[in-house]
Amino acid sequence: MDDKEENRTVIEAEVPMGTVHPGALEPYRLRLFVEDEIVRDAEMTVGVNHRGVERIMEGLPVEKANSLTEKICGICSNIHIWNSCRVAEIALGIEIPERAIYIRIIMGELERLHSHLLYLAHGCEVLGHETFSMRLFYIRETVMDLLGMIGGNRVQYGSAVLGGVRPRCELDQTRIQKLTEGMDLIEEKLTAFADRFVSDPMVMSRITGVGVTSAEDALRLACSGPTLRATGVKSDLRTEMFEYDPFEFDVITHEDGDVKSQLLMRVFENFEAIKIIRQAIRDLPEGPITNRSWEMKDVPITKSYVEAPRGTLYHSYALEDGRVRNCVIRTPSMANIGAMQYSAIGHHITDAQLCIVQCDPCFTCTDRAIQIIKI
Amino acid sequence: MDLIYSLIAVIGTLVVSFIVSLFLPGIERKFIHARIQQRVGPPITSPGIMAPIKFFFKQTITPESPMPRLYNALPLISLIIIVILLLFLIPEMYFLGALASIIAIVGLLKVEEIMYMFMGSLSKSVLSVRMPFPDLAKGAAHPETPRSFFEELSSLRAFRLIAFGSFPLYIALFVSVAMAGSIYLSDIIAYQQTHGPILFTVAGAMGAIVFFIGYMILLNEYPFSILKGKPDVVEGPYLEYAAKYRAYVYMTRGFLMFTLATLFATLFLGIAPNILNPSFIITLIVALIFPMLMAVMSAFSPIFTYKQFYPTVAGVSIIGVLAIVAAFL
Repeated sequence: MDDKEENRTVIEAEVPMGTVHPGALEPYRLRLFVEDEIVRDAEMTVGVNHRGVERIMEGLPVEKANSLTEKICGICSNIHIWNSCRVAEIALGIEIPERAIYIRIIMGELERLHSHLLYLAHGCEVLGHETFSMRLFYIRETVMDLLGMIGGNRVQYGSAVLGGVRPRCELDQTRIQKLTEGMDLIEEKLTAFADRFVSDPMVMSRITGVGVTSAEDALRLACSGPTLRATGVKSDLRTEMFEYDPFEFDVITHEDGDVKSQLLMRVFENFEAIKIIRQAIRDLPEGPITNRSWEMKDVPITKSYVEAPRGTLYHSYALEDGRVRNCVIRTPSMANIGAMQYSAIGHHITDAQLCIVQCDPCFTCTDRAIQIIKI
Repeated sequence: MDLIYSLIAVIGTLVVSFIVSLFLPGIERKFIHARIQQRVGPPITSPGIMAPIKFFFKQTITPESPMPRLYNALPLISLIIIVILLLFLIPEMYFLGALASIIAIVGLLKVEEIMYMFMGSLSKSVLSVRMPFPDLAKGAAHPETPRSFFEELSSLRAFRLIAFGSFPLYIALFVSVAMAGSIYLSDIIAYQQTHGPILFTVAGAMGAIVFFIGYMILLNEYPFSILKGKPDVVEGPYLEYAAKYRAYVYMTRGFLMFTLATLFATLFLGIAPNILNPSFIITLIVALIFPMLMAVMSAFSPIFTYKQFYPTVAGVSIIGVLAIVAAFL
């Protein structure tokens, strides 16, 4: 008998959840190993939604490939197309007009707002608090309307094209006015929600001290984005992105690393997003929104990292005859799967989904490549 | 003449109660949940009437169960038990003696609770099925762990509910027994006709609160919804019910809501359900108020885990015991 066999622990029961489960927004498989309804081990498997986007992108003209990346995610479609364009822009040395950068930032932060609000609504739904969930969805509607106004769609509203933003996304005075009013409304409603949320003893009892991930564990598990920041680690790629240089904002962190920290951290991050959007509207420079004067050339594999609403998003590809080669995309949820599994251990089975949801999973985008193991 | 009067009273009360009970889920969802959540909500007849009618005309499935016939029969058995329970509350049935007493009511409610255990243990839905070969995805650390189904989890939780979860309801039932000094419903009603409703005493008010919490626990409503909850066991014991059997489930729940409210009106207001008695309108009002209060509470609550459930049940049970002590004083 080998060491592995000897060290094997006996677990009372396995509760398989998924790939289809009403508590999960997306299909994934969760195996919970439980003793008296307390999770002793958890195993999570994604791979149901593999669509092979990188393979489809292979050989496509770069403009077409970029627009395809928007389809990777239904929640953060804009950041994908932005980052994909960014790869080519870095590789080809394309200068982006300042006004286009500001519009990209506005779209990016609006996307962060709607993504975080969706996250909070989903969290409340898994908590069983449908009223909070509904109210958050109502707040999110304002953001969706603004995204639809600028991008033309509610889901596929990506603004970036090579060298700038789409003409559709130009901001005139009417749109700026609506954005300003929208930010005021969201701030007011979100503040009211946050007050009500933190003063609810039943909700606080459900989320305090549940799904704790320490800063050391979060770093060991290679977490990224808000999931990492909620453990107290001050890590935000926006502080390193040149696009965000003109903007003042705080990197929000929470110390506890539990569900409460994860939820509240995103509430406060929404206020920072509103702050950035207001600065962008106030200082929006005049000028063109697209730079058409660039030349295509062959470039080696180029990488770009951006801070997506869920964490670090990575895109890389090479260009040959204006076509994409060797594309690789890595979404933030891939980095956070470890924390999802880890944080569920030691908690009640009802809290398991909550521990997963707290890391803001988006598995459909995460299904990039699969490895088949022969059994 | 008396016999005809009694027959009309019994049958009329059951029929009217059944019709009203069909509207209760709709009232709960349309007028409370939807209004609180600022949405339109379903038509009032949808959850309690139209949905069961629709289900009656749907094709049924054979559930994954060792005893599918018994499993499918359980909601109907539950419905019959609740009908019997309501029957014993009607004054014309008090001649049955011990059957029209608190002991019989407790017994019937316990049988109702045991039904959830049976439902859970007799169902194995596809939601928990795993691969028919050793599941080694990502190198599972526990390959030989026995599989558990959501319904099995629900069944275990139903056992816990029987063991301690439904304490508040049963303790509240005995507040009126302590006040009236009798387990018979006829004596409890007679006591209240002489001394006024038990609800308006200190012990009665405390008992009413405890009863209400017990009512929510027995109906598995948020936040006490441990038998069925979206984050883990989904529909719990009801997972495999389809077509007419699911219609029975819906009807049973509505009727249980009405019957428990009627029980409250009998024990705490001294008003027994009788269609031929004008005070029946108060029973109907109580039957409407209870689901509405429950809907308000559930709309503003998350689901409890045992961490919140145990202390709540313990605290409410203590209040119930204090109410009984106060009743003796």
